[in-house]
Amino acid sequence: MTTISLRNRQFSVSPGTVAWFGLVGLLLLIGLVSAVIVFKNGLVVTNLTNAVPWGLWITIDLSSIALGAGAFTLSAVVYIFGIDRFRSVIRLAVLVGVIGYTSALLTLVMDIGRPDRFWHPWVYWNVHSVLWEITWCITLYLTIMLVEFAPVIVESRLFKRFPWLRKFGHALHRVAPVLAVAGLLISLLHQSSLGATYGIIKARPIWFKPSMPIMFIVSAIAVGPAVTMAAAFIMEWISGKRTIAHDLLRTIARFSGLGLLVYAYIKFWDLMAVTYYGSTPGSERAFATLNTFTAYGFWFWVGEVFLGIIIPVLMFLVPRFNRRPINLVFGALCAAAGILINRWDVTVSGLVVPVSYSPGTEYVLPPQAYSPALVEWGIALGVIGYIFLLFTLAMRFLPLFETGEEAHAAG
Amino acid sequence: MSRRKTRAKVKLTRRDFAKIAATAAGSSLAAYLVTTGPLSPFGDLKRQQLTTEGDSHAATGPHHWGMVIDLNKCIGCEYCQRACSAVNDVAPDKPWNIVVEDSTSNGQKFFFSRPCLHCQNAPCVEVCPVKATYVRDDGLVIMDYDRCIGCRYCEVACPYDARKFNWEPRSEENAFVPTWGVPEVERRPRGVVEKCTFCVQRIDSGLKKGLIPGEAREATPACVNICPVGARVFGDLKNPDSAISRVLERQPTIRLRDELGTDSSVYYIPVSEEA
Repeated sequence: MTTISLRNRQFSVSPGTVAWFGLVGLLLLIGLVSAVIVFKNGLVVTNLTNAVPWGLWITIDLSSIALGAGAFTLSAVVYIFGIDRFRSVIRLAVLVGVIGYTSALLTLVMDIGRPDRFWHPWVYWNVHSVLWEITWCITLYLTIMLVEFAPVIVESRLFKRFPWLRKFGHALHRVAPVLAVAGLLISLLHQSSLGATYGIIKARPIWFKPSMPIMFIVSAIAVGPAVTMAAAFIMEWISGKRTIAHDLLRTIARFSGLGLLVYAYIKFWDLMAVTYYGSTPGSERAFATLNTFTAYGFWFWVGEVFLGIIIPVLMFLVPRFNRRPINLVFGALCAAAGILINRWDVTVSGLVVPVSYSPGTEYVLPPQAYSPALVEWGIALGVIGYIFLLFTLAMRFLPLFETGEEAHAAG
Repeated sequence: MSRRKTRAKVKLTRRDFAKIAATAAGSSLAAYLVTTGPLSPFGDLKRQQLTTEGDSHAATGPHHWGMVIDLNKCIGCEYCQRACSAVNDVAPDKPWNIVVEDSTSNGQKFFFSRPCLHCQNAPCVEVCPVKATYVRDDGLVIMDYDRCIGCRYCEVACPYDARKFNWEPRSEENAFVPTWGVPEVERRPRGVVEKCTFCVQRIDSGLKKGLIPGEAREATPACVNICPVGARVFGDLKNPDSAISRVLERQPTIRLRDELGTDSSVYYIPVSEEA
């Protein structure tokens, strides 16, 4: 086996492979063209306005970071709580995390008005700003994940010729527990401050609540590992090789199901507190506006609650469903869709309702609906292409399903 | 499959511990050196930031510039909006200073106008990730257009809708020039957020010449100068003898959304309801 050269393996293409890379290439091309259009003409080509300055791209940022949360959750399970049998999924979880976080950063660079100044948060600090803290945490945590992932990359066949690099990579692996602790702290910080980004805005009554950061982090902890679980199954179906023990993946699914129940519980009391027990003129008017101008109620109940919570909970927790991998993957995809819809609802709904700066009078700013422009969807497709590309390359070239124990022992 | 939970084995000798500690300390030092320390290409910028801005988050200096808007006097002529747009070269669709028709809860019509309220506890300043906007020690909330990254968080956070983003580069002719004034500041580039400055260029240069903003026209915001009915009074809230302090002493005033604790510098004389 070891004598098979790289070239023979790499270029054994089937029609399916060609079609797949064609699709990935097309998605990347669409993304690239959209990016050029945006950089050339500015954000005026989007459908964002001064009334709704954040939209689809922020939704992608928030969602891909939340869906990458499997990395810190499962790392914490293995390195901090010492539950060693999950070690075999760590590498995949970190890969999902790296892909999620880099997607977020790519989209974020598109979204800011001055991409040439993307480095400003590292030089000009505003320690009072949650967005500053998020920028720092995301970049720090991405670095941590890359260090965690470095041993996997250097173990790949591509680096066979550089033993010193491998040695270095394995040396990095020894600090994994330390990184896991740092990663846990940083993740707990920024996964919740993404919610705080909205929760602290006292100008907008449907955002301003302390449950915002909690709902964000609980949903991320619940759904992140499920996405990793789904990725494992899908990779197994594609490669035809059993990679991670199914009962382990089922345990992850059960964990996610329980996490979603906790999320549902907090969401229930949040809903009660905001609408039934604690409705204020501000929030009442906001919800009335939302339901006239958007299908908020539909997306909340069908998208967030039914699709995002009820279906995955049934798939993950009911024994007759969770025995079949296809159900688990289906549940994970539903949960991920639920996260996307939730982040969209939070972002856009809060903005569609205008601020009322002179209460007691009848003048209100006109509410403004928002639906993404073609070029915004183009960037979204480009990000999907990027995600597909990275997964494909990782599957082909990286030893994702070894624990690194052997190498660790040798090095 | 039924392996029991086992602790991850971490063999940590004293030597290892020293190594880890040294690595951690070394990396933090290196990170400090290359980001903001002496080795950083940005070190000068950082030091400049620290020396020019200080850490005041309110009017701690000798002045605090404020404005009173008398809603009984305003006739809705929009002169303030036009003069502002000319002097600050503002895009017609994103006015810094707005005038709208409004009515009280019992139906009485009046005109409502709004510049930036220059909050001392400004939500926009708190959320900016790069300190591109800050409260000066004379109470003005100012934008640094060279630092803004265009994330628009301040626009989202402002309770008064006072901030506007430059979605596109501007090349249009300003229709208000020269009838309503001539531009005193340059146009803001594409991709940054902009806002009313209380005509900071006039205040700063006026003070240098020994003029008193609010009294000398040259040192007073354009919207205040142009108002044909004197609905706006501008001046130093810290000076008890200034025109604005005397108005505030005589008249009952309100501030917009005071319950948010923004501590704004713009006071409104509410419409006196007719019986």
